[in-house]
Amino acid sequence: MDKILAKKDFPRWLEALGAYDVYAPQLIDDVWNYELATDRKAVSLDYPQTAIPAKKIVFPQREFFFEFREADTDDYKLKELLPEGKPTVIFGVRACEGKAVTLTDLVFGGEIADDYYWKRRNAAVLVGLACASPPSTNCFCLSVNGSPHSKEGLDVLMTDLGDQYYVEILTDKGKKLVSEGGAIFHEAKPPDKKAAEKIHADSEKKLARELKNIKDVPAKLKGMFASPFWDDESMSCIRCGICTYLCPTCHCFDINDEVESQTPLAGRRVRTWDTCQFPDFTMHSSGHNPRPDKAARLRQRINHKFQYFVEVWQNYQCTGCGRCITLCPVGIDIIKVVEKVRDHAN
Amino acid sequence: MVKHEDVRAEAKKLLESGKVKYIIAYELGADGWKANPVFIKKPEDVDKIIWGPTCFHNLIRFVVDEKRRKVQQKNPDTRPVGVMVKGCDSRAIVILLQEKFIERKDVHIIGVSCEKTGVIDERKLANKLKGRKAKNVEFGPDENFVVTTEEGTVDLPASEIMADRCLECIAHVPVITDVLFGEKTKRTVPHPFGSVEKIETLSSEDRWKFWSEQLEKCVRCYACRSVCPMCYCDECVADTITFAVSPDTTAEEKAQKIKWLDKSPVISENIFYHMVRAIHLAGRCIDCGECERACPVNIPLRMLNKKLEKEAKLLFGYDVGFDSEKPALISCFRDEDPEDFIR
Amino acid sequence: MRTNVYLPKLAKVISVKEEVGGVRSIKTFRTQFLDGGFTHKCGQCAMLSIFGKGESMISISSSPLVKDYLQFSILKMGRVTSAIHDLEVGSIIGIRGPYGNAFPIESWKGKNILFAGGGIGLAPIWSVLQTTLLRKKDYGDLTLIYGARTSPDIVFKEELADLKSKMKVHLSIDVAEPEWKEFVGFVAQNILDKKPSPENTIAITCGPPIMIKTCIKALSEIGFKDDQIYTTVENKMKCGIGKCGRCNIGRHYVCKDGPVYSWAELRQLPQEY
Repeated sequence: MDKILAKKDFPRWLEALGAYDVYAPQLIDDVWNYELATDRKAVSLDYPQTAIPAKKIVFPQREFFFEFREADTDDYKLKELLPEGKPTVIFGVRACEGKAVTLTDLVFGGEIADDYYWKRRNAAVLVGLACASPPSTNCFCLSVNGSPHSKEGLDVLMTDLGDQYYVEILTDKGKKLVSEGGAIFHEAKPPDKKAAEKIHADSEKKLARELKNIKDVPAKLKGMFASPFWDDESMSCIRCGICTYLCPTCHCFDINDEVESQTPLAGRRVRTWDTCQFPDFTMHSSGHNPRPDKAARLRQRINHKFQYFVEVWQNYQCTGCGRCITLCPVGIDIIKVVEKVRDHAN
Repeated sequence: MVKHEDVRAEAKKLLESGKVKYIIAYELGADGWKANPVFIKKPEDVDKIIWGPTCFHNLIRFVVDEKRRKVQQKNPDTRPVGVMVKGCDSRAIVILLQEKFIERKDVHIIGVSCEKTGVIDERKLANKLKGRKAKNVEFGPDENFVVTTEEGTVDLPASEIMADRCLECIAHVPVITDVLFGEKTKRTVPHPFGSVEKIETLSSEDRWKFWSEQLEKCVRCYACRSVCPMCYCDECVADTITFAVSPDTTAEEKAQKIKWLDKSPVISENIFYHMVRAIHLAGRCIDCGECERACPVNIPLRMLNKKLEKEAKLLFGYDVGFDSEKPALISCFRDEDPEDFIR
Repeated sequence: MRTNVYLPKLAKVISVKEEVGGVRSIKTFRTQFLDGGFTHKCGQCAMLSIFGKGESMISISSSPLVKDYLQFSILKMGRVTSAIHDLEVGSIIGIRGPYGNAFPIESWKGKNILFAGGGIGLAPIWSVLQTTLLRKKDYGDLTLIYGARTSPDIVFKEELADLKSKMKVHLSIDVAEPEWKEFVGFVAQNILDKKPSPENTIAITCGPPIMIKTCIKALSEIGFKDDQIYTTVENKMKCGIGKCGRCNIGRHYVCKDGPVYSWAELRQLPQEY
């Protein structure tokens, strides 16, 4: 059954979650980001879009795989460094980010599951906040099988009704989280439900941007691999990592050894985010680079999101959050690029 | 006032005569109010060109790209590229000439004077508008900007929303041009190093704390390096492959290259990266402020470079990026150079 | 028991043999797991760890029928492979795997197999060659056409000499040398010279990219169909399990969906390798 939570009781809920690490959007130096809430009373869900998506909590930019240590002559001791999986709740997750997590679930799941990812993922409770109005001028979730109030990937969805939140419990994890709040939650009444539904319906009309008729884009991209289109489109690309690091669905990573002591050798094997936009991403040790220029790299980003991922998982690897557009220092606009692909003469 | 039509007419003339390969300029972005870099190849496309207070980008970054492309080509088109430059951007050309990265004949410089005001700071504007979305921003008649939102038009003084770099600008008129649009206005800059004055008063502990907190935020997307026209090295200590590899590079050479910093975005590595970048920009940074604008987590990177610019000025009387005939600061020694700081 | 896919198993180097000296040195290593291990298929790879340096994906050159060791023949190329070249008998390394698909040798029963390799490219096909040789009655004619730049660059020299009594072996070097009695020229030219029959035959070609390209062309010229030609692809890899996102060719991750492709499959994919 759906619930109602008075906004004044929201801090009480957070305080009841003592067993959890609580992340919520916070404004630091004019930039919003999901940060560990040290002062739970100060958490407010009145925020637009974070720079770094919530993926950083389930898939941190840096994590340890294991520790290696030279033991006796030529022998090594390896110590697995799995995350402890502390219960974590992320407040204010946008619908596009919840959906994005379901896409990274596909990548890190499957036959060979990624233990490090799942340890954090399984411990994380995602509390969504429906977007009454688009948090960014570049939102286009509706165009990529999403919506501003999508429940995908979320455990709880909250909708701001003014002085109270309409709270939809979506999973067992969500149920447990709400039960921690106890009596501060009340049963929602039909008018509340109606009010939430109206906000949801209205929110769909407020998106400023759209990416229409992209059904044929995957097939189109396949035929455009060798097109000079990519040279033109990538002219202004400066090969930084913003579009991918800050994408909620991008999951590429690097694995490196970080040495802490040479004799005896000791250190850790570390996973960090990586991006197809850096030239050394695909460079062979020989110096040969199958993606030698920024045209090839832009093509990879678009193809991965709108062709390869669709071929493998039947979904776009883009949830329309618009971060790559908003934050690109040179204004490369994924909507415009994909539209041009759509309209490209074969 | 700089008129779009004049710039467009000049661009058309250049393209029609075949004098330039293409023109690097600004166009209106998809959001309808901010400028983006654009590459104009055909005379019929010149009407895309705009000039306004959102022309933040230092387009010299793309002159660097052009040079890189050219060295890869077998029979490169040796005509110059046309490029629109503000005062700060023109100083980047001076550096590239000084360092012999490009030659004067490689660029046809279309200068625009920032006259009374420079470009805006998007974050300052957003704070000012408190949730309202900008639809258009134009230069005002005085030291102000005219901002249009869905709720109408407001006049905002330059002091409130102009980029810090423009508030401290010492070259609002391009210092090297082939053609100049706009007037050579006079502007006084009371505090050319204003942005570093506050931090200079702090104790070293407090400064360390400040920078530690700031650089802790870095996600190492390298946008600051990527957007910088001075960061043109083929090899960078920040990359996993820190040197140019050719088929002749031996395994030994590759194995022996030092891995200077780890990919982990942790404070030690982040500080190392930003220090290396700052030092390599000493006497070279022309304060276009692009690093700071590009930073997705808003690290005040400009402050680092500004401090070094100040040191160059105070210690060596060196003004960065004004005279391409003069030797670069870090590659020359003069008898009268001060030595008292060497201990 | 839960297995952590990123945690390598420790193994001891039991033999090191220098195949080729000089700056482009090639060495063959045999390793034994300290504890447990895995079974691989022909064509699969393993991620070798040198702790403190990193990992490198290397094809397993020993036959799956050989149970007491894994063999890797490695060209010294970068940071990790240089560190591997410094290993001695008794050194400990990390190994995880096996990764990737395999040559479909079961479906090749009754067919002739033509191996065409150049330089270090003999390593990935060596496991198939050894396996089919051990099960010779299951297969038809086995032929090897192998070449290197110069005679000292030839790998598995003793094994090749020994092989000549068991199957057809045609060697070549790029440029003539006084003592060289066999073919002089590229592997592709040797293919055209020997003209092996495509009838009921599978061809496997491995080597440097340019050699693969010319060999496929030569094989097509003498009548091999696209689905009769197999090769292996390599790209830079990190995870080995199709997650880190860097070795893709189109929708395929070479580490997981490759490295073995028939030319019929590979030519459908974008050329990004």
